[in-house]
Amino acid sequence: MEFTSLIAGVVLLLLLLAAGAKGWLTSRQWDEVTPGGDDEGATEGCPEEFLSRIFLRGDWEFVRKLGAGGIERLFQQERKRVALIWVRQTSAMVKRVMRAHTQAARASANLEFSTEIRILGNFVTLMSVCGILATAIQLGGPLWLNGLAHFAHRLLQQLAKLQESMQAGVLARSESGGNT
Amino acid sequence: MDVANDETLVEQACDDLSRRSLSRIDGDLGRLIYLASTRDYNTGRYHHDGLAARFGEEITCQALKTMHRQIFYQIAQNSLEQLVMEMERYASSSSQSREEILDVWQKLEPYRVALPVDVNVAVAQLFVSNVKLALAILRRRLELEAREAPRS
Repeated sequence: MEFTSLIAGVVLLLLLLAAGAKGWLTSRQWDEVTPGGDDEGATEGCPEEFLSRIFLRGDWEFVRKLGAGGIERLFQQERKRVALIWVRQTSAMVKRVMRAHTQAARASANLEFSTEIRILGNFVTLMSVCGILATAIQLGGPLWLNGLAHFAHRLLQQLAKLQESMQAGVLARSESGGNT
Repeated sequence: MDVANDETLVEQACDDLSRRSLSRIDGDLGRLIYLASTRDYNTGRYHHDGLAARFGEEITCQALKTMHRQIFYQIAQNSLEQLVMEMERYASSSSQSREEILDVWQKLEPYRVALPVDVNVAVAQLFVSNVKLALAILRRRLELEAREAPRS
């Protein structure tokens, strides 16, 4: 009985991973054919008001009222793609912030333990949320994930602020060290 | 180079552009297409002879770029329903028939070229995706109208 549950668990996990990977690849293909599709080099985050456009149900209600199956399917397909692109972009930004943080931390002589733990905690949470979002979007579309998407957005902003203030501190110390 | 002075000039050029050129175009979609058409495909630089005569090439380029981004974010924030209305407005203000415009837009996807450079990727994709949907909705409306027409 326990062995069967284990097997079922592993199969479920593999299915979830496959669904997540499929979504990731779909978003990448879509991204490659559109101008400006390089989210690694993205210079600005997605403004919060657009996040609601992607994840809220307003447009879906409008499409549903039309009563056209083909357009409903197109809508679901399109929103899924856009949402996955947003997840990939968010995850790329998290990684970029962490790279910048690692560099700043190397240059810093006196790291604050509590700040480092908070940054690490935010990083791990964000990467997990991005993974969950990618899989959930692939399985059920983005329209029930507005809360989680906004949570990830705010956490990314917090992480970026923490990293910026930490980097500013490192710069200020190195400048005052250089002046003395 | 006086940065503050340049910024003021760019603002003045934007204002001039809004009053003289953009206000004459019906709807944000039309304005977006117009602004994108002032951009050189090869260099990515914007040109407008009338504006350049008053403000110089560099300020003009900056002003057109700023307005292009601004109008893009404005229209990308529209709901799908609003975008369908914008599309309809754009199609009816053109000299071509709605069918013709829909055909060309669905086949050639010219709206992809209307994206400003360096806008957020997710927002750009949302816009492209919504235009695609708006075109499908308008196409359906046209088909329904054509079916209704012989009956009336």
